[in-house]
Amino acid sequence: MRKVIANPLALAGLLIISLILLLALLAPWIAPYDPNAIDVKAILLPPSMQHWMGTDALGRDIWSRMLFGARISLLVGIVAVGIATSIGIVLGAVAGYYRGWVDTIMMRLVDIMLSIPTFFLILAVIAFLTPSIWNIMIVIGLTSWMGVTRLVRAEFLSLRNREFVLASQTLGAKDFRLIFIHLLPNSLTPIIVSSVLGVASAVLVESGLSFLGLGVQAPQASWGNILTDGKEYIQFAWWLSLFPGLAILITVLGYNLLGEGLRDALDPRSQ
Amino acid sequence: MLKYLLKRLFWMIPMLIGISLISFFIMHLAPGDITTTEAGFNPKASEESRQKLRELYNLDKPVIVQYGLWLERMSKLDFGNSFASHQRPVFWQTTDENNNTKLGMIQEALPITLLINVLSMGLIILIALPLGIISALTQNRLPDRSITLFVFIGFAIPGFWLALMLMYWTGVAHHWLPISGLHSMGADKLSGFAQGLDTLKHLILPVFISAITGLAGISLFVRNGMLEVLHQDFITTAKAKGLPEGTIIFRHALRNALLPLITIFGLSIPGLIGGSVIAESIFAIPGMGKLFFDAVLMRDFPVIMGILTIGSALTLVGNLLADLSYAWADPRVRKGVMQ
Repeated sequence: MRKVIANPLALAGLLIISLILLLALLAPWIAPYDPNAIDVKAILLPPSMQHWMGTDALGRDIWSRMLFGARISLLVGIVAVGIATSIGIVLGAVAGYYRGWVDTIMMRLVDIMLSIPTFFLILAVIAFLTPSIWNIMIVIGLTSWMGVTRLVRAEFLSLRNREFVLASQTLGAKDFRLIFIHLLPNSLTPIIVSSVLGVASAVLVESGLSFLGLGVQAPQASWGNILTDGKEYIQFAWWLSLFPGLAILITVLGYNLLGEGLRDALDPRSQ
Repeated sequence: MLKYLLKRLFWMIPMLIGISLISFFIMHLAPGDITTTEAGFNPKASEESRQKLRELYNLDKPVIVQYGLWLERMSKLDFGNSFASHQRPVFWQTTDENNNTKLGMIQEALPITLLINVLSMGLIILIALPLGIISALTQNRLPDRSITLFVFIGFAIPGFWLALMLMYWTGVAHHWLPISGLHSMGADKLSGFAQGLDTLKHLILPVFISAITGLAGISLFVRNGMLEVLHQDFITTAKAKGLPEGTIIFRHALRNALLPLITIFGLSIPGLIGGSVIAESIFAIPGMGKLFFDAVLMRDFPVIMGILTIGSALTLVGNLLADLSYAWADPRVRKGVMQ
């Protein structure tokens, strides 16, 4: 932990993400207005003391919508990565531990999934389901486990024949124990790094989907759909397009900084 | 080399079967069957069009037979006709009994997307190479730090947002660049050269947008590759021999650092094709991405399945080409392959 804080990249990322997480968690208490409250007397107001980020075409307060949007974006990012990482750990562990034909099949599956253009795959699945926040999380999760799988497999392959693992096996440890007590804890660093980086790309994908109108549906606010709503008024209401984009940028930047910083700080090879 | 090629080609068969399985699986994801989803989404979907869907995908037959028929159609690249766009063939042109030729939708859209992607790859190389090299040569000093900052922002910037901002700034506010479509109004009356210039102007923003996200990754990659090579023994030897700095960097280090780029480009193909959805729908460019997005909105299943399959097949071909060029460029791999 001390190593992480000593790394300037990781520290900057950690601070950005903590701040955004805090804002998202406290949204119901710190948002000055109801994010969905329509106010016909306050339509398309520029940023001011009353409305820090202005209001939209329905008179809704953008700052409040941004705060609630942060909850959605972060929730989707974290749950999607949770799904992807769980799948990746299970498949990667099985492939790396049992090797042989199991490994071959798993790795071919990864190759096949990687050869289908991801965004097409996500959109196609959504075309057959209905867009909702839960479907988005599941779809992003189910289409982004390949990296973690390869990573876990590679770690397992390299750890599998180390002395401590062989010793434990000789002493009669079962597969389950070997995988969860010995191999997995020793592969955690790259898994954590790739999960943190994964949240960054999941946030980007979610905002892209919402921007296209196939993600989080109105009236629920997400940064992507605030941007879509604002797109039509870009000529005379710049604040509707500027703030959500900046929020996405800063959040993704925070996760990337933290991920790369963690990699530097925790990887013994780069020291 | 020939044996390697044959082996790789052979490997594509199980991959394609896997892709067919996944696309078939997606088709059956919908609760109930896809005819009801379509009806649910589009209340105007008639019993007739539902019947067409059932016929096209043989939904009345057992699942295994359905899959067999789907595989057969895929192998013939026959994805049927679009539901939404006047029965146009999805993939390639067809001629009916009256000698009327209907162009395929993918046939028309694919060259546009390929052109944009080739241009943006060119732009990526043009910008990312110098950035990566400068970054590596000034490691941890100011130029490297500022390029790294740029790279991180490039990774984080949402493409659609940047597109929107640039579109507003260059197109709406200043009228420097056209912001939609591929041709200006009345461009068909211009000379061939002027028409080409007009299209090129329309392509500037979309190409720039699709290049910007790839740019960050590639320049970081060149930087790290250069740093790794610069620490190897043969570079020290070259320096000890008293070779000029330029020769060492460009002839010895760069050539080795660039090799893996071939693979990276191969791997980035699915991302580029998929990424075309956002850029093309924002700028109204009639390429694969926009075609796919419109098909998703209209639940035009034959088009969705066709593009999904063709996009994946393209990725496979791209990866194959990348591996072959790698083998061709790197004598170590080439020799290893021949043995």
